[in-house]
Amino acid sequence: MTIDWMAFLTVVVASLLSACLLVTLFSVALRLNDGPAPWRRPVSVALFVVCAAVVVFGIYLIVPFLHP
Amino acid sequence: MDVSLLVALVIALALIFDFTNGFHDTANAMATPIATGALKPKVAVAIAAVLNLVGAFLSTEVAKTISGGLIKGGSGGVQITPALILAGLIGAIVWNLVTWLLGLPSSSSHALFGGLIGAAVVGAGFGAIDGGVLVSKVLIPAVLAPVTAGLVSFLATKVAYGVTRKRERDRFKIGQIFTSSLVSLAHGTNDAQKTMGVITLALIAAGVQPTGSGPAIWVIGACAIAIAAGTYTGGWRIIKTLGRDITDIEPAQGFAAESATTATILASSHLGFALSTTQVASGSVIGVGLGRKGASVRWGTAGRIALGWLITIPASGVVGALAAMLSQLGLWGVILDVVLALGAILTVYLIARKRRIDARHFTQPAPGVFVRPKRRKKKPASVAAVSTGEAKAG
Repeated sequence: MTIDWMAFLTVVVASLLSACLLVTLFSVALRLNDGPAPWRRPVSVALFVVCAAVVVFGIYLIVPFLHP
Repeated sequence: MDVSLLVALVIALALIFDFTNGFHDTANAMATPIATGALKPKVAVAIAAVLNLVGAFLSTEVAKTISGGLIKGGSGGVQITPALILAGLIGAIVWNLVTWLLGLPSSSSHALFGGLIGAAVVGAGFGAIDGGVLVSKVLIPAVLAPVTAGLVSFLATKVAYGVTRKRERDRFKIGQIFTSSLVSLAHGTNDAQKTMGVITLALIAAGVQPTGSGPAIWVIGACAIAIAAGTYTGGWRIIKTLGRDITDIEPAQGFAAESATTATILASSHLGFALSTTQVASGSVIGVGLGRKGASVRWGTAGRIALGWLITIPASGVVGALAAMLSQLGLWGVILDVVLALGAILTVYLIARKRRIDARHFTQPAPGVFVRPKRRKKKPASVAAVSTGEAKAG
């Protein structure tokens, strides 16, 4: 019986960071979308674009053709 | 015994297993968006079906390890014959249907492993089971998967509720469409391959295909269609358990849960520590239930699910073993096996029809219902506090 605890720890840290990153980006984007200041909208849209990039990276990881 | 008949039966049962796999796992991706109203039930299962269909064509790596790995194990003494594969599949199908009837999200992979292990024990004795591998590859990950996903989704929920204000949270639904689709696609690239691997294994064992070859194109196509059809049927009972019965899910929680599920599955498949999708998804839902203030987790339901996980391998193993014993009687044993399996499928179907749960049972929350401010009648002081808070924040 061998458990690769190091690999498990890597999985925990990686999933924690990536999930929290995506949720933070999306939440901040929603928050900035809502307010009168003129600078908020473009920043919010930019953050949504970053979210989309994270999702695209997810697709890249899922589809084996895309990474050798 | 007529080998071609046996192989045909294995292929048919493998495709039935693939179908049950599909409707068992729709909930992993689509329970949360259906619960929050991000997607209409029928639309959600249609998206999941398409992504599973597409996903099945994207990779055959897992299929190759199944068809290659088990044959190599055979050189040590365990001879996997098509009859044993058939028995294993029967165990997996029966257990998948029973857990579906009970609305339990249990791992289809574990059901398949359990069935095959049970059949192998009958074929080769208890020596066929490597206890260490069972503990390190199945039991311990089964504890770690929900704990990891639960921790991730708990923190993600805290972040989502910490950053946003109530009236902004309805738009998490838009994000949910993307995150739940990712879960579905990840599922599609993995799960249909288990069946492809089993069918290829049977074809290799029967000498139709050379050892070490990958799944044929018609096998890939048939498995893709079977899992997509199963997904579209939507295991509504399991969707209800995961989306409604464990905890009440709001859009922000749904988004957090799906992000956590996707992140954990992708991390586990790319960093070399395999975790079950079903267990990860269940853990995420429990995590978001703990993460939102005012939400509560129904631990009775969670306990029932955990119990289901615990007995999945032994239960499907027992069914697989019984089927393997019958199949050792020769051709008539195998035919009796298949007849009994079809009888079990029919019985479960008839019981399920009596207490039907389908898309129409999901009355969805109206748009904005989670973000509408609560009326506070008796405490004018707190209303004042809220309105000053809004003014400051705005």
